[in-house]
Amino acid sequence: MAARNGKNGLLEKWRIDEKPVKIDKWDGAAVKNSLDDAAKKVLLEKYGYAENFNLVDGRLLICTISCLFAIVALIWDFLHPFPDSKPVLAICVISYFIMMGFLTLYTSYQEKNIFLVSVQKDPAGMDLDHTWQLSSSLKRFDDQYTLRVSFTDGKSKHTREQEITKSVGVFFDGNGTLVMDQFEKCVSKLHNTLATEKKTK
Amino acid sequence: MLSIDFLDDVRRMNKRQLYYQVLNFGMIVSSALMIWKGLMVVTGSESPIVVVLSGSMEPAFHRGDLLFLTNRVEDPIRVGEIVVFRIEGREIPIVHRVLKIHEKENGEIKFLTKGDNNSVDDRGLYKPGQHWLEKKDVVGRARGFVPYIGIVTILMNDYPKFKYAVLFLLGLFVLVHRE
Repeated sequence: MAARNGKNGLLEKWRIDEKPVKIDKWDGAAVKNSLDDAAKKVLLEKYGYAENFNLVDGRLLICTISCLFAIVALIWDFLHPFPDSKPVLAICVISYFIMMGFLTLYTSYQEKNIFLVSVQKDPAGMDLDHTWQLSSSLKRFDDQYTLRVSFTDGKSKHTREQEITKSVGVFFDGNGTLVMDQFEKCVSKLHNTLATEKKTK
Repeated sequence: MLSIDFLDDVRRMNKRQLYYQVLNFGMIVSSALMIWKGLMVVTGSESPIVVVLSGSMEPAFHRGDLLFLTNRVEDPIRVGEIVVFRIEGREIPIVHRVLKIHEKENGEIKFLTKGDNNSVDDRGLYKPGQHWLEKKDVVGRARGFVPYIGIVTILMNDYPKFKYAVLFLLGLFVLVHRE
């Protein structure tokens, strides 16, 4: 019992969910990632939606299969030294690069900057669940961050989108610490606009 | 717990993101591996890129030159051509010129090599009792070269700690850094 509590305790100390997010304000990728994560937090924690991992899992699957081809090639070549392994190597190499092509197509056309797919379960359990999607973009060396919220009605399959573009300077202080309150207000406003639209329709 | 700031990103990741970081690292290693194996298949040589390690072929090749090899079955080996070969039991490839060839009617050959800058032929380098090389010892023929770049490989092999340090730091960077 004590051992298991100890292990959980170590994991808790390792994860730092509650510490305020501090990043290098000049690192564009880190800025976008922290804003995306914060938006995710708002939707998942404040509104209690459930994250749907299918999109991410698809990408993980493609990457895993590619690595498997590479591992097979490595092991086969080790067991059957070179000239004999030529056909197998050729197949693995070609398959690997086909998977790479697949991956590029998948990230460009399926994922399209979407970093969260979440499901709003109907409290009554009667109607179908609604889907909320978040996507964002931040151009290199630019400070304009665009957050797009899209709402898909479970029944009508109708999709509505709303987006907002703000400078990242609005959400980060001079040290690079994310001001969660500001950002949460912004995300919530976006969310509520879409939610109320739904009610009036 | 040590709180090293650069690890903060990792600590905030959930299981999927951690797995993706590992996968990312795996993909980079796999890409390099697949390009190498692909070159092996295309050129037919088991070591398509070699570094010249000694000055025995000066002034043609200098220590540190990078050579691109092919090992097509159709290319006949003729006297005067430069071949890269491995002596049985040793893993270091040697880049020397062919001096003499004995050829049987069915195409099997035995040949003798010598480095341009050496004063004697390579019999001293061959296995004890071996006087000739055969096709199976050949790694390939040089088809192109880039001067000096191979010095990095020579340095990495002379100072293995340096190599491991560089690889370790690169690996750590890829694992921790989010895209």
